[in-house]
Formats: sequence, C-alpha cells, structure tokens
Amino acid sequence: MLAIKSLSKSFGGIVVADNIDLEMRAGRILGLIGPNGAGKTSLFNLVSGLYPAHAGSITLDGQSLDGLALHQRARLGLARTWQHVRLFPSLSVIDNLIIGARHYPAESLVKLLFRPSLIGSAAKTIEAKAQDILARIGIPHSADKSVGDLPYGQQKLVGVARALMNDARCLLLDEPMAGVEGQAYEAMQRIVREVAASGVAVCVVEHNIAFIRDLCDEAVFMFQGRILARGSIAELIANPELTELYFGH
Amino acid sequence: MDYVYSITILISLFVILASSFNLIIGYGGLISIAHPIFYGLGAYASALLARDLGVPVPLSILSGAVFAMLLSVAMALPALRISGDYLLIASIGFQLGMIELIKNLRFTGGASGVSGIPAFLVPTFGREVYVALVIAVALGVVLLVRWIAHSDYGRAISAMRDDEQAFAALGRDAKWIKVSIFALGSAIAGLAGALYAHYFRFVTSEQFEILMSSTILTMVVVGGLKTPWGPVIGAILLQILPQAITFLNLPPVVLGPLQGLLFTGLVLIFMFLRPGGLVRAGSTWRAAGSGHGGA
Repeated sequence: MLAIKSLSKSFGGIVVADNIDLEMRAGRILGLIGPNGAGKTSLFNLVSGLYPAHAGSITLDGQSLDGLALHQRARLGLARTWQHVRLFPSLSVIDNLIIGARHYPAESLVKLLFRPSLIGSAAKTIEAKAQDILARIGIPHSADKSVGDLPYGQQKLVGVARALMNDARCLLLDEPMAGVEGQAYEAMQRIVREVAASGVAVCVVEHNIAFIRDLCDEAVFMFQGRILARGSIAELIANPELTELYFGH
Repeated sequence: MDYVYSITILISLFVILASSFNLIIGYGGLISIAHPIFYGLGAYASALLARDLGVPVPLSILSGAVFAMLLSVAMALPALRISGDYLLIASIGFQLGMIELIKNLRFTGGASGVSGIPAFLVPTFGREVYVALVIAVALGVVLLVRWIAHSDYGRAISAMRDDEQAFAALGRDAKWIKVSIFALGSAIAGLAGALYAHYFRFVTSEQFEILMSSTILTMVVVGGLKTPWGPVIGAILLQILPQAITFLNLPPVVLGPLQGLLFTGLVLIFMFLRPGGLVRAGSTWRAAGSGHGGA
C-alpha cells in the first residue's frame, strides 16, 4: 500500500499539492480526477520522486520513500507512465520493455567488462518476460518495430507494458486513455484490471470519466492541489459543486 | 620510413582518441571538451613514472590510463550530480586549469615539457613492433566501443540519451552510467597519451591544448557520430589530408591557415550536406549480431 501524508509542494506562488493525505491500496484501482491544473500529474511527479516535496511523507508498504531519487523509488516497486508516453525513440518496442525491468542486469559497466556471462543469462529471462507482456497487450508481432512506427494508441499500451516490467507494487498511470480508442482502449482496460487483480495498487489520472467509472473502485477529486472529495465516481459526478469545478458550469 | 611510422602511429592514436570521444559524446550524449587533457595526463603520468620512478614501461602505460580515469571521475562526479550541462562547464575549467598546472609545476618540466622518456619495444624489437602495438590497441578500442554500444549496456546508454527522466523512472541510475562512460573514454584517452609518450619520448603541455578537442570532434562528426567505424574514417581522413597538403610545397604563411580552413570547412560542409557524417548511424539501436546498424 502507498500512503501519502500531509504532502505539500509549491512552485513560487502556485500550490500544486496542499497538505494531501491519500492511500492507494493493494489490488484496488483508484481514479484521480479534476480539471486541468488541479495537481494530478504533479502528485504523480511528487510520489515518483521527480520533484522533492516541501513537506509530508510517502511510504510504500511501510517503507519510507522520502529523500529517495526517481530511480531509487522505481527500484522499490513504484512504477509510473507519462501523459505523453515518453518511449525511447532509438529503441525497438521489445527493447523499450527490456530496459524497464526492475533489476536490469546491464547497468554496470564493470559487470559488463568483467562478468558479461552473468548479464547474458539474465537478459534472456527478461526478454522472454517482455515478449510475454507484449503478447498480453496484444501486439506480439510488433516487438522489433521502431516505437515511432506504432499508432499512438499502441504506443500508450507499450508505455504501460514498459511499466509492467517493473513488477511494481504500486502503478501510477498518467492519462493512459488520452488518444486511445478501439482495440487499444479495450486492451488497456483489460490490462489495468489484470494488474490490479494481481495485487498491485493502481492509481489512474484520467479525463475519460467513462473509463474511470468502468474501471475504478473509487476516485478522488482534486482541485488547486487539494483533495476535495473521495468516493465512487457516481457519487463524485452527482455532486453539483464538483461538477461545476470540473466543467465550469 | 620513420616518417611513415610516425604518421601511422599518429593516425592510430587519433583513431583511439576519436573512438573514445565518440563513446562519450556520441553514444553517451555527454558534452565535454576535456579529452585532450586526459590524453595529456596519461602521457605525463606514464612518462614521469617510467623516467623518474623507474616503473616498468608497460606498468607505467597502464598507470597513465588509470590516472586519467581517476581524474575524470573526480571531475565528472560533482558535475553530473547536478546535470549533464555542468559537465561542459566543468570540462572547460578542468582542461584550462590542468594545462596551467602542468606548465607551472617543476616535476612536470614546466613549459619545457618532459624529455628523455624511456622508449618501449623500439630499442629491442624495432619501430615496426611498436607501430603494430599501437595499431592493435586502436583496433581493440574500436571493437571495444562497438561491443559496448551494441551490448545490453549499450541499450541502456541509448535509452538514457533519449530521455533521462523516463529512464530514471524505470529504476535506472543515469548518473553512474554517465560517470562510467566518461571514465572509460578518458582512460582510453590516457592510454593513447601514454603510448604517444613512449614513442616520441617528449611531451609538452602545448600538445594537449583545448584546440585539440575541436580536431577530435571534427574527426567524430565528419566520420559519423554513434557509429563504431565513423571516427576511424574521420581520424584517418583528417590526419592524412593535412599531411598531403604539405606536399604542395606551399609557403608556411599559406599552409598553416589552409590546414585550419580545412578542418573548419569540413565541419561546415558536413553540417549542411551530411550531418550524419560519412558513416551514418541507424535510427534504431540493435543488439550485436542482429544485422542492423547501431543507433
């Protein structure tokens, strides 16, 4: 479980997180909704370690993440995706996944130079896992393609697949459905459900309310860096004050 | 024949320098202009260890490479803790500062340099053997860089170069990868310097000035960034062309500027007409043996 307590952050006069308390539970899908600029992506950036928080604490299964860098949090089992995908354009689809393994074997030049055989055997296992994940998301035949050659919806799926390589305990999905439709939409829903069912705490930032409604166990509404409400998506939508804040009418 | 040997050794040394610089700037995406000083530090360290302390030359050559590597880590680590951009600033300061230090220290011979450096292999086996050694080292360095670039580690380097934040968010430590690449590239430059010192047997700080980094960069850019063989072609071309011009028997007042113009002109021509260099890198990284060009 990921627990956020009294988390605060501002950039100059702009408050992106104002004393936030939030829990993301194992096996549950939490939706994070709110208008643009509410602080949803900023919250992901704070949790994943992209920005340091001014105050507050974050724990993952009781282990403090405070003061840890982006890569250190990922190594503890915190995975995320990005609103604009951010795949590696110089790598093929399969290589984008392989690089996402939590314990990537070839990160040490010393190990490469003096113990290359260790890397080779571990890399084969990781590649097999990457192939398996590609099959799960429905694009097994695109493994050797350049990621830039994939339709945008499939790129989004590859972004999620890359995060899945982490075997994370907590998965943060930043607008996974933006620009996704058709088969990719269905595949994304299925994958997110499967991941949560395996015991991972999933949090989804999404403007596609239908997606949140169909998928999430509950949702929180953010506005100006604060959490205003938590409940089922039906409850949140039924609240006229929140609807006005979200849609502006 | 000595002239041919000297030119062959210089070409091979520049192949080593261009290939190791390609590892740093091409594959690693790290901007540094301090490559000449690591070349110089290797040369000075090996020369002084062998001449003044009586260290056996093979060991002093290796020590030269290790010395360059250690100083490169000391320089890069604080800069890369903050951002890759700071490496350029740090490298300028380091290059200029170390040259001044070498010029002003007594044990480095000051501005007069170090002479009487012990020769290696040549007195016993002849110049041909030393030439063969340097060519073998150059080939070894090119193959090493190629192997790294197309290994699983090379995949990580490519991803890091593409998007450092997304790379770190996957649990990869970009800082150590950058420091490692920089240290290895600098160690190889130091090795080249040591090999230079024990053949020509005289080193002076003027041989490792900041201008040399533009020469090495031109070799990499003209040959082809992010390709194993591009810097080889660039180094051969840009070592032979200035030498060829000398056979035109032009007056020195024309020859000097002409050689300068040659480098500048080639960079401009390649920037506009063939920015990828003579050997173009593939757009997608491929593992060794996959039959595709590397990224």
